[in-house]
Amino acid sequence: MNVLGVLQGEFLKLRKRPAVWVCIGILLLLLLAFGYLLSWIVFTYTKPPTGPNGVPPGVTYADLKKGLYPLHFIQNTLNGGTQLGGVLALIIGVLSQGSEYGWGTVKTAFTQRPRRLEWLAGKLVSVALTMLVMTLLLLAMAALTSFVLATIDGGDRTWPAAVVILKGILSAWLIYCFWGFFGFGLATLFRQSAMAIGLGLAYALVIEALIFGLLSQFVGDPVRKVQQWFPLANAQYLIQSFGPPTREVGANPRPPFADATHAVTMLLLYCVAFVILSAVFLQRRDVTS
Amino acid sequence: MPAGELVVETRGLSKRYGNTVLAVDQLDLNVHRGEVYGFLGPNGAGKTTTLRMLLGLIRPTAGSATVAGHAPGDPAGLARIGAIIETPAFYPYLSGWDNLKVVADYAGVPDSRLADALEQVELTPRAKTKFSTYSMGMKQRLGVAAALIKEPELLILDEPTNGLDPQGMIDMRKLIVELGKGDRTVLVSSHLLGEVEQMCTRIGVIQDGKLVAEGTIGELRGAATLTVRAAPVSQAQMVLTRMLGADAVIQRDGAFRLRVDAGRAAEVNRELVTAGVEVSELVSGQRSLEDVFIELTGTEGGL
Repeated sequence: MNVLGVLQGEFLKLRKRPAVWVCIGILLLLLLAFGYLLSWIVFTYTKPPTGPNGVPPGVTYADLKKGLYPLHFIQNTLNGGTQLGGVLALIIGVLSQGSEYGWGTVKTAFTQRPRRLEWLAGKLVSVALTMLVMTLLLLAMAALTSFVLATIDGGDRTWPAAVVILKGILSAWLIYCFWGFFGFGLATLFRQSAMAIGLGLAYALVIEALIFGLLSQFVGDPVRKVQQWFPLANAQYLIQSFGPPTREVGANPRPPFADATHAVTMLLLYCVAFVILSAVFLQRRDVTS
Repeated sequence: MPAGELVVETRGLSKRYGNTVLAVDQLDLNVHRGEVYGFLGPNGAGKTTTLRMLLGLIRPTAGSATVAGHAPGDPAGLARIGAIIETPAFYPYLSGWDNLKVVADYAGVPDSRLADALEQVELTPRAKTKFSTYSMGMKQRLGVAAALIKEPELLILDEPTNGLDPQGMIDMRKLIVELGKGDRTVLVSSHLLGEVEQMCTRIGVIQDGKLVAEGTIGELRGAATLTVRAAPVSQAQMVLTRMLGADAVIQRDGAFRLRVDAGRAAEVNRELVTAGVEVSELVSGQRSLEDVFIELTGTEGGL
């Protein structure tokens, strides 16, 4: 077994690859800007709008601001950081594998010692660990920012229970792993990055939302029964299990269709499916480029 | 493995793509320990496909192969093989050193080998610069360094001088000859006759996926030949073909090269003169490898 050797090599490649840090940096910056700073500025320096688009009756900006404090940093991060983060995780997963085909380094790897499946295992573990690093950096930044904002406001600096933090870390990691493995699987299937990123983004931004958006117009609620088997819906159920987003305080949002156990099971199954898909294609195909 | 033992052996090795393309056809290749074996053939003859099969990158449709004592792609075999297939492929954003480190990690080789390998190909001064900034020659040399870090008993090099400038080609050939000294076996593919002639001790010629000849350069050149210039050419051709058979008469550049013992020169001359053919030149000599190649492949590829 040479999985550890592959893992070492993969870490070196991912650690030194600018694209990986650019993706993680963009995610951190966007969450910081749109998840915290912009909201804090709006809640601090403006007045709530009135009318149907305003805040729910009886809710003030001061109430909404509490959602930016440490007690809510897990749900705030999951709500703000997993969709965009998912797209960036998809790109990291695609690049991890698609670039090997683009640069022709698959043949370099396969003429060393590891078996194909050992190489795959090493790569997937390294992608999963990169997703963990991304999750931890994101949550650490959210925690720090929420603490700083609460301190400035003299607000509540109570942290969520340790178990909630742990569940939050694992949930974000699982969602990112799903996206990373999805991208990795697409790149293995197409043996390139461009097609994999294109289709992956199309799925992330359009396909699932479009299909179920349209169907629900005509069929109505039974569509949700079908949707519960699809990955983005399950990622959403998992996020919703931590409570509504802070911007929906007092809005009485609709409860998730399925619970967190269902969501975790489905996302894990999708991860396994992409691993199997990658393994089958990698093992069976000739390396001709 | 004792000396003289086959390091690469294929039997009936074939690769078919779909129903139409037969890239490699029933190939029986024999590469002995310690030799620099030239795998010669025109572009598209099946050289790279064969080498990829030997490394386990492509699965054969039929036949078998043993490489460094193992089946192609077996980790135990790959641990004893260094290879460059087509252009060397590395990570452009990593330095030469880091690229070698990745390869060493994959191969389970200690980092202590990296400096030696880079030194051997004279890349030490550029070890810390990015691969994307390397010239073609430097990329090729890094490929050789990566192939050497395992201290392999077999080196498989696919067209290693491709894309190099003349000085780079000379340096690469020298390096290959140097690497082939001692017990190490080198299997090098090329479509360049002169290159193979300079580097290799034995040659296999592949054409349309088939091995059409295999042997030392001397064996392939075969027996001595006679070169005849005579006119009229058509009548001379007729006489020589009748006398020696079509296979023994090659017409090229206005002359006939005859595969016949030089002792029969007087007899050839007499027959031609008797038939009314005027003989202006009759020289004994040996066929060049170029003649052999053209005769075997029907091409002048790479000349």
